Amino acid sequence: MSVIVLLIAAGGVVAGGFLLAFAWAVGSGQFDDTEAPPLRMLFDDPPRPTIASPTGEGHSHVHARR
Amino acid sequence: MSVAVAAVASTAANASCRHCGDGCDGSVSDPDRNVFCCRGCAAVHALLQARGLDTFYTCDASAGASQRAADGRDPDRFAVLDDPAVAARLVTFDDGVVASVTFAVPDLHCGACLWLLERLWRVDDAIVRSEADLVRRTVHVWFRPDRLSVRGVAERLAAIGYEPIVAAETPVGVVAPQARRLRLQLGMAGFAFGNIMLFSVPRYLQGAPLEGGFQRLFDVLNLALATPVLLFSAADYFAAAWRAIRARHIALDVPVALGLAVLFGRSAIEIVTSRSEGFLDSFTGLVFFLLIGRMLQQKAFDRIAFNRTYRSFLPLSVRVERKGGAEPTPIERLAVGDRVLVRPQEVIPADAVVLDDGGVVDYAFVTGESRPIDVAAGDLVRAGGRASTTLRLELVREVAHSELARLWSDPALGRVKRHWLEDVSNRFGAVFALMATGLALAGAAAWWPDIDSAAQVATAVLIIACPCALTLAAPLTLGTAVEMLGRRGLYLRNTAVVLDLARVDTLALDKTGTLTSAARGTTATPCGLSELEWRLVRRLAAESVHPVSRAIAAAASAHGDVQACREVPGQGLRGSVDGHDVVVGTASFIAKACGAFAGGSTRRTSVAIDGRLRGWVQLQTPPRDGIEATVAALAGTHQIQLLSGDDATDAPRWRPLFGDRMSFRQSPHDKLVAVRTSQADGRRVLMIGDGLNDAGALAAADVGIAVSDETACVVPACDAVIGGDALTRLPSFLRYVRHARRLVLVCFAVSVAYNVGGVSLALTGALTPLVTAMLMPVSSLTIIGLSLGGMHWLARELDA
Repeated sequence: MSVIVLLIAAGGVVAGGFLLAFAWAVGSGQFDDTEAPPLRMLFDDPPRPTIASPTGEGHSHVHARR
Repeated sequence: MSVAVAAVASTAANASCRHCGDGCDGSVSDPDRNVFCCRGCAAVHALLQARGLDTFYTCDASAGASQRAADGRDPDRFAVLDDPAVAARLVTFDDGVVASVTFAVPDLHCGACLWLLERLWRVDDAIVRSEADLVRRTVHVWFRPDRLSVRGVAERLAAIGYEPIVAAETPVGVVAPQARRLRLQLGMAGFAFGNIMLFSVPRYLQGAPLEGGFQRLFDVLNLALATPVLLFSAADYFAAAWRAIRARHIALDVPVALGLAVLFGRSAIEIVTSRSEGFLDSFTGLVFFLLIGRMLQQKAFDRIAFNRTYRSFLPLSVRVERKGGAEPTPIERLAVGDRVLVRPQEVIPADAVVLDDGGVVDYAFVTGESRPIDVAAGDLVRAGGRASTTLRLELVREVAHSELARLWSDPALGRVKRHWLEDVSNRFGAVFALMATGLALAGAAAWWPDIDSAAQVATAVLIIACPCALTLAAPLTLGTAVEMLGRRGLYLRNTAVVLDLARVDTLALDKTGTLTSAARGTTATPCGLSELEWRLVRRLAAESVHPVSRAIAAAASAHGDVQACREVPGQGLRGSVDGHDVVVGTASFIAKACGAFAGGSTRRTSVAIDGRLRGWVQLQTPPRDGIEATVAALAGTHQIQLLSGDDATDAPRWRPLFGDRMSFRQSPHDKLVAVRTSQADGRRVLMIGDGLNDAGALAAADVGIAVSDETACVVPACDAVIGGDALTRLPSFLRYVRHARRLVLVCFAVSVAYNVGGVSLALTGALTPLVTAMLMPVSSLTIIGLSLGGMHWLARELDA
C-alpha cells in the first residue's frame, strides 16, 4: 500500500514537472509556428560561420537552429 | 554574372522558367542555357548562384515567385525606411550591436522559400540571422545596424525575389496572446483528463469502490486535478454564458456552462461527503474535447488576418515636397495642400489633384477597371489608385476622409451577419436549457419527500441533458472543415461560414482580379498587323514607360533602330523604326498625326505605319489557368452571374460560360444592388470578388469570398479569403462543405438520441452514477469519431 502511495506521489511530481515544462514551452513561443520547424530539420547545410549570436531578446529560441 | 538577353532559339519556346516555373518564350537566358520568363527571375537566379545558394532549386524545382512585376519597380521604393521614425515602427529590437526587424513577405510559401530566407546571412554578412514564419508569411531578420540599415534589409529581401510589404499598417502577424492561452488551457485539460482516467479505470474494472483507502485517495486527487480545469480551462465558457445571460438571451454556451457547473458541483459534493467518486472524468474529458474544437478553428484563423483597415493598403510614408527637397513623411502627418511625389507602383494616399500632365493611374483595386487611366494636370485622383508613372500631387483631402476610407468604413459593410448555425445552435441552446431545467425540477418534484433522491435525479437529468455531444458535433466537424480548407487555400472567418457556404445556390463573380489575374499583367495581342509591323510596334513601345506600351513591349523583346521618338502624354507615341514612320495611340492621336481615321472604340490602341492605318492592339488581362473549366463546373451546380466594373471589351470571351448573365460597368453600388436583387428572389448568394468595388457586394451576400493573390495583401471585409491559385478548386470545396453540413446534422441526430435515452433512464432513477459516467464519454467519443473521421475521410476528394 505505502509503496503505491509513494509511486503515485513520485508520478505526480514527474507529471507536474512535464506540465510546467509545457507551460514554459507555450509561453516561450515554441508552439507559435508549427509548420517551419519540421521543414527546417530536413535541410542539409554546411555549418554556418560562427558569428556572435544575438542575445538579450525576450522571444528567442536560438538554440533550436543550426 | 551577366545575363544575356537575346531574341533566340524558338526551341526554347514553351520552356518553363528556371526560377519560377512560369512558361516563357526563351528570350531571356543565361550563359548556362537556363531560360527565364523575365529579367527579374534571371537576376534573382544569378544572385543565388553567385552566393552559392542554388540548393534552393534542389529543395523544390522552380520554387521562386515570378519577378515579372519587379521590372517596373522603383529602385528607391524603400527610401522611406531611411526616415528613423518610419524605421522605428518596424524595428522590434535594437541594442546598437544587433537589431531585428520583421517584414511581411507574401511570396513566402514553401519549404524552399523557408530555406532561402533563413540563409540571408549568405547574401549579406551584415545579416546575422533570419527566421521565416510559414503560417504568417513573415520573416524576422537580425542584422548589424552599424553596417546595414532597415532599408538595406528590405532591399536584400527584394533582391532575392521576396518583395517585402511596407505599409502604413504592417500586416505582420503578431501571435495573439489568446492563441497561447488556448494552448495552455488545452494542455491543462488534457493533463487532468488523462490522469483522472488513470485513477478511474481501476474503479470501472472492479465495478465497486476500491478498498484499502485507495478510493478516497484517488477521489481527492481527481478533485485536485479537476479544480484548475474548472477555474482555468473552462473559464471562457462560463464567461461567455455569463455575458449571454446578462444580454438576456440564451446561447448554446448557457446549457454547456450549466452542465459543466452541475457536473463539477455534484462531483465535488459527492467526494467531499465520501458518497461516490463523481463524474470528474467526464467533466475534464468534455472540457478537453471542447477545447480541441476551438483549437482547430484557431489554427485556420492564424493564417490570415481578416480585420484589416484601409491603412494597411496605404504606404508607410510619402515624399512631401518641402523647400526644394522631397522628404519622406509618415502619412499621419500629411495635411491638405501638401505637395507629394508618388512613384510608380506606389499607392496614392489621399484624394489629390494632379500637378503635371502625362500621369497614369491604375484603379484596378478600387474600381475593377483593368485599363490604366491617363490623367492630366488638374485632374482629381482618388486614394487607393496605384500610380503607373511618377505623379506630383497636391492633396485636397485628409487621408482619413478620402474616398478609400469612406468606402471602407461604409456602415453597410460593418453590419454583423446573423449566421444560420448561430441561430440554430442558440435556439437549440435555449430549448435545451429550458427543457433540462424543467425536467430536472419535475424529476425532483416527483421524488420530493425523499430529498436525497430528488437531488440525485435532478442533477442526473441536468448532467445527462447537458448537450455535450451536441456541443462537440458542430465545432469539431466544422472546425476540421475550416482547417482542411485552410490548408488548401480557402480561409474561412469562422465555422459558421462552412454552413452558409453549403447552402448557397447562386454565385456572383467579379472579373478583374477574380477570373483574371492581376499578377500576370496585361497581354497585348496584335490585330491586323503583320509580323514585321508587330515587331516595329513593339520596338517603338519599348521606348515608353506608359503601362500600355510596357504591355506591348513585354510580349517579347524586339530589335530595331529607333529615331525621333516622341510621346504625347495620354495620347500616343510616334517615332521612326528602321526607317518606317510608326504611330501608336488613340484614334484621335492617329488622325492628328497622319490623317488616317481609326474606327472602333475610342479607347482602343490603334497603329498606323507610314501614314496608313494598319490595325490595332488588343489589351487583355489573361484569365487564370483553368478558370473556364471551373466556371463551367460551377454552372452545373449553381446559378452563375458575372458582375464586372470593367467595360464590355471582354464580353465575347465570357459569353459561352455566362450567357446573358453578365453585367459590365458596375459601380460598387450596382454590384450590391445586383446581389440584393438575387436575394430578394429567395436565392442565397455567394459573391466572389477582389477589389474595394466588390466590398459592398461581399458584405451583402450570404457569403462573401475575397480573392487574394498575396495573403498579406489587403482584402475588403468578407467571410472568407481564397488564394488565387485555389480558385480552380472551388467546385470541390463547395462539395466538401455540403458534405460537412450533412455530417453535422447526422451528429446532431446521434447526440439527441443519446440525450433522450439518457434522460429517460435518469428520470426513472435507474441511472447509477457509474452508468452516467460511462454513458457520457461514450456518447462524446462517438461524436468525435464521427466528426473528425468523417471530415478527414471526405477531404480525400479535395486532393483528387
